[in-house]
Amino acid sequence: MELTARDYPEVRHRLRDLSEADLLRAGHRLARLDPDEVLRLHPATPVVTIAITGHGTVAGIVPSLTAELARHGLLLRPHVTDFGVHVVELADPGSGLHRSRADLALCLLDATAVFEEVPVPWTPADVARALENRLRLLEKLVARYTEVGAGGLVLTTLPLPRVFPAQLVDHRSKAELGARWREFNAALLRLTERHPVLTVLDLDPLVAEGIPVADPRADVYARAHLSPGLLAAVAREVGHLAAHRAGRSRKVLVLDLDGTVWGGVLGDDGVHGVEVAGGYRGEAFRAFQRVVKQLGSQGVLLAAVSKNDREPVERVFAEHTGMTLRADDLVRITANWRPKPDNLVELAEALALDVDSFVFADDSAYECGLVARRLPGVAVVRLDADPALHVPRLLRDGWFGAAELTAADRGRVARYREEARRQDFLAGVDSIADYLRELDLTVDVSAPADHEVPRLSQLTLRTNQFNLTTTRLQPADVRALLADPTALTLAVRATDRFGDNGIVGAVFARRVDDVLHLDNLLLSCRVFGRGIEEAVLTTVLRHARDTGLTAVLGRYRPSAKNAKVADLYPRSGFTEIGRDADGTAFRHDLTDLADPPAHLTLTGTLGGPPS
Amino acid sequence: MTSLDEFLALVGDQLGLPLTTEDADTPLDDLIGWDSVQLLGLLPVLEERGGRALSLPAILEADSLGRLYDVVTA
Repeated sequence: MELTARDYPEVRHRLRDLSEADLLRAGHRLARLDPDEVLRLHPATPVVTIAITGHGTVAGIVPSLTAELARHGLLLRPHVTDFGVHVVELADPGSGLHRSRADLALCLLDATAVFEEVPVPWTPADVARALENRLRLLEKLVARYTEVGAGGLVLTTLPLPRVFPAQLVDHRSKAELGARWREFNAALLRLTERHPVLTVLDLDPLVAEGIPVADPRADVYARAHLSPGLLAAVAREVGHLAAHRAGRSRKVLVLDLDGTVWGGVLGDDGVHGVEVAGGYRGEAFRAFQRVVKQLGSQGVLLAAVSKNDREPVERVFAEHTGMTLRADDLVRITANWRPKPDNLVELAEALALDVDSFVFADDSAYECGLVARRLPGVAVVRLDADPALHVPRLLRDGWFGAAELTAADRGRVARYREEARRQDFLAGVDSIADYLRELDLTVDVSAPADHEVPRLSQLTLRTNQFNLTTTRLQPADVRALLADPTALTLAVRATDRFGDNGIVGAVFARRVDDVLHLDNLLLSCRVFGRGIEEAVLTTVLRHARDTGLTAVLGRYRPSAKNAKVADLYPRSGFTEIGRDADGTAFRHDLTDLADPPAHLTLTGTLGGPPS
Repeated sequence: MTSLDEFLALVGDQLGLPLTTEDADTPLDDLIGWDSVQLLGLLPVLEERGGRALSLPAILEADSLGRLYDVVTA
């Protein structure tokens, strides 16, 4: 496969559907490209710097990691530390790792590090002591990284290779070693509760898939203590983590129905003839539906797009007693005879989401191929005739990865369904103005509470369209802003006659002398076009004037997705004052302030009237 | 694996390196884009092609692709 710097924007599409071996070969080629050359030719390519360190030889992960990031359209800038120096690299603020200002630091740990510190002969008690020391050291390194590190820190649990318990001849000692080892890994995983910068990848589930922990020859001769297969699996997880941090998590799972959600062909077999429970294949479809429902409960929007007549499809969801998935679990069911790519585009419009945030699963190779070709940004999960394989295929990639769930995730389906009802309501009123008046909208602009920090961070990570500068903030970044007396950080909430939308927007600004700099302004795409953006800007401008400031500066930094807000500032009374590679700068002199839209009520600590 | 050229083509394809016959005698340290860690990934591929186990120490000791070819075909 020819993969050059010039081709980089196309690379992610060429990596679709490659076998693990071919993906690794492509990774070797991509790792050879000069990131600066790719950026010179394609300056908009998002770059992720990952520092890679660990106990053994860890450079072997670079080709896999390069390929995995490329699958998400990201460009890897790797920084690999020397052999055996991970402690110093993580601890010393002047180390190469810290100077790389990496977005992520990946520290690959393995059992050898522990067993090098026990005497020979050893007992489980010796290993327990070494594990305790290792845990204390790691916690110190994590705390240190929090102080001086630039981005997130990723550690791995330590799988226990059989060669260690197998050296013990009695079962009581084997059990003691196994228990101590797992206590260490559990404590390592629990560090994430106290350290927000930290992610710990649990390698046990990867090893349980049948991936060997180490290759004995590479382990001894090259001190490569983790097998190429395990490194590739870790690289996949890190790829999804990097994609999430870069705002590229997927939001919607679109499912075919016949052969995917249930067995058989609805048009032939009838509403009660499809297989969804009972029988060999029925149980396989039931298992798949349970997994889909589980994803939906965590904020993944579920939709069905099927080539069928509408009425029998609705009847299966409503009447078939064996169905696990119900119509309420789905934001929309599309059943018609149009090409599926057209239906996906229309669904994206209805949800006000980008089709690039979709994952599409279908058992038909034809439909998968058509969607992949027409909509290259959609992640396609190719299922086939054996429904027992649907679950592992769907879960092979962590497309919907998130750092932590927020309250907004759990209620997301309900809100998008409310949105669908709003749209029906819209069809029943004469004009947008009437609609907005009858919507009974209240907008609240206030400082966020601490528990709302994850939601604000998530807005910066998930919002692509109404995002003036596309600056992504991790929860720790938002907390730092809340602690900064010169920063003005605001949460925007909206409520209307259909329900509470929760936090739908955010303002990130800071005061410099007597000028307010609007660093970013975001609004969830669900609530565009209702005057909320005007209300928020008016609030911020009034606040600036009332606190004695002389001007407000704003910036629009174009991205692939945010063209619709290019004219937000000029529309709102700002004057353009400059244009450079970083976008367009605007200024408002606060002499002439517009009133907020009359159809909505403003509340909150900043939105006044006093409440 | 019958010829040196076939061997170079296989290694080049696996690692994405444009190798020619002249590269056979170049010290590996001087080969542009070469990293000894890559030998670990190459080992299973070479063993599968040759249908027999190879000695990793002998492979790690080879200082040029030509010497590596000698180990693989010995």
